[in-house]
Amino acid sequence: MDPYLIEAIINGILLGGVLALLALGLNLIFGVIDVVWIAYADIVMCGMYVIYFLYVEYGIPLPLTCLMAIASIAALGVVVHLLIIAPVLNSAPINQLLATGGLLFFLQSFATLLFGTDFRNIGVRLPVLEIATLYISFSRLIAFAVGLIGAVALYLFLKRTYIGTAIRAIAQDREIVGLMGVDQRRIYLVTSAIGGALAGLAACLLALQYDVHPHIGNTFGPVIFMICVLGGLGNMIGGFIASFIISQIIAIGGYYANTELSYVLAFTFFIVLMFVRPRGIFAR
Amino acid sequence: MKTSRRTLLKNSAAAAATLSLDWRYASAQAETVRIGVIFDHSGPFAAGGSVASSIGTQIAIDLCNERGGVAGKYKVVPVNADSQSKADAAINEVERLINQEKVDIIDGVYSSAHAVPLAAKVEQQKKILWITTAVATAVFKDKNLKYVFRAQIHSDQYGQAFAGFITENAKAKLGVEPTAVKVALIHEDGPYGVGVAAADEEYSKKAGLNIVMREGYSAAAPDLSALVTKLKRAAPDVISHVGYNPDITLFLRQARESGLRFKMLIGAGAGYSQLDKLRATFGKDIDNFCNIDPVPAQLLDPKKLAPGIGELTNIMVERYKAKANATDVPPHCSMGFNQTWILLNSVLPIAKEKYGGFDAESVRKAALDVDIAPGGTIQGYGVKFFPPGTQLSGQNERSTPVVMQNAGEHISVVYPTNIRTQEPVLPLPKSSVYSM
Repeated sequence: MDPYLIEAIINGILLGGVLALLALGLNLIFGVIDVVWIAYADIVMCGMYVIYFLYVEYGIPLPLTCLMAIASIAALGVVVHLLIIAPVLNSAPINQLLATGGLLFFLQSFATLLFGTDFRNIGVRLPVLEIATLYISFSRLIAFAVGLIGAVALYLFLKRTYIGTAIRAIAQDREIVGLMGVDQRRIYLVTSAIGGALAGLAACLLALQYDVHPHIGNTFGPVIFMICVLGGLGNMIGGFIASFIISQIIAIGGYYANTELSYVLAFTFFIVLMFVRPRGIFAR
Repeated sequence: MKTSRRTLLKNSAAAAATLSLDWRYASAQAETVRIGVIFDHSGPFAAGGSVASSIGTQIAIDLCNERGGVAGKYKVVPVNADSQSKADAAINEVERLINQEKVDIIDGVYSSAHAVPLAAKVEQQKKILWITTAVATAVFKDKNLKYVFRAQIHSDQYGQAFAGFITENAKAKLGVEPTAVKVALIHEDGPYGVGVAAADEEYSKKAGLNIVMREGYSAAAPDLSALVTKLKRAAPDVISHVGYNPDITLFLRQARESGLRFKMLIGAGAGYSQLDKLRATFGKDIDNFCNIDPVPAQLLDPKKLAPGIGELTNIMVERYKAKANATDVPPHCSMGFNQTWILLNSVLPIAKEKYGGFDAESVRKAALDVDIAPGGTIQGYGVKFFPPGTQLSGQNERSTPVVMQNAGEHISVVYPTNIRTQEPVLPLPKSSVYSM
């Protein structure tokens, strides 16, 4: 088999891991709270800035920096819920979309104001795994592994814990769960914190591979949203699998055709699927 | 003392005349030239050189005003606009400048993707667009523009410099005939990337170079690993890369991690001209990469330029470092400064004194009169605009790019040979992580 094709497939799988982690948080929030956080990728951007400043400017060790970034973005998730999502929870979906869309522009402009337009890099260079003619990036491998572990951990949390069960229950029927004594407000806050923490975790992994700048969210936002819709908004397993489908279309399409066309192929696939299964591939 | 009615009237008339004279005098003193200045102060283009260009432009305006203004009399008042790295925002801002701010002259424009629609729009409204930074030849080619001018180089010249540099050094440095040199052309897919890559391809073919791959990509793509894998398969000796900043860092990082090796990488300005930013990310990894762009003024020997030009460069460099808190002065600063300085000092005085004003028609006629010999600007080239009716009407026919090579903070000019400051290091030394 063509070794370069194998390399393209492996790269596609590794990219899928990163996209899956990003999609996980967005799907969790939509599944439970029923609001699409259009600004999710920009919340990841905030996490990347936290990592940059703590690690580069203040010299805090990277693992500790990552934990602090996860905690601070989890807190940001709660703040976003309290200030922006909670007031529009019962509004029309278009108003909710406009509110989170407004947050997107606010975060980008605020980051530009605070940090300028420069591209910043944490300067960590991880080694490369060489197997015969194949080169595999450690930073991508770590991102993939952590993405996978994050997905499994979230799955176990939702299946095995009381709060997880409450979150799943509220995702199924938010009215009835209230009647059963579950504090919806608390569950929303916990979900926003977990969604934020997942964004913080994604920020840790992206900071190893990408420069941070105020518009980094635009690089991932549209693709993540497409993945979530493709897998069925709110369907975490669907989103997880859709991440790998899209990343393979990008990787193999890019290899056989060209990089521009690979994204055209991915979006064409998405549009066609929306005609065939408008609620997503894995919608029940 | 009793004042007669006649005396009172005479004195009043004299006072009124004096006041009137003073007022007219003051009015002449206060006459200003309002110029719209548009750059990307936010979005990805900002750090890709647009802010540097805007700083260069502002330094030129400040310096002109400190010396009395245009023709020593008319102060320049910039009306700034942010195109936000978006073509639609650029168009809206130019609309605002023309229709609300009532400016007749618009200076700036970083991105070719903005320059193409803006040129058509401003031409239609018969106002002046004075492009400082955007390079796509497509802005002018076969458009017969009459109100759009660019003293800056154009993208076809990148292709000429790329092919010329490789051809000249193939035998001596790479040990092979030019026809045996494998080149790959990769580029962002906007007018800038497509324009430069098309020129690279055209002139490489003319020079007989072996083009093994040409591919475009979106500058906002989250992943370029498929592109890198294909480059590994094509195994080019030389890569020409036309990109902005986020895509360049992504490409170089993925290239290193994927084990891509080559003998030389030649950038085409934009992100490759922001050396301090690239160095912050890649350190020595980017040492000995080449870059084609108009020369940063500070690299030229002032003795070979017209009198006073060296001093102008020193002022620009000093002020840029202070304003941007930077150690490097990128070519984009020189582009913004140089083009604006030409407008303020070689065009507008003629417009006012010979053609009667700062309106678009007078400025257009004055621009066509400009005739600056090579060595007469801080970037070394002369200025003479192609007249209407020619293929590149409005483009400077005397602009020239150079090939630069960097090692740490030291940048040398390595092509054209007659003005080079150092022999090129080619292929990349074995110490480079990208070397074959």
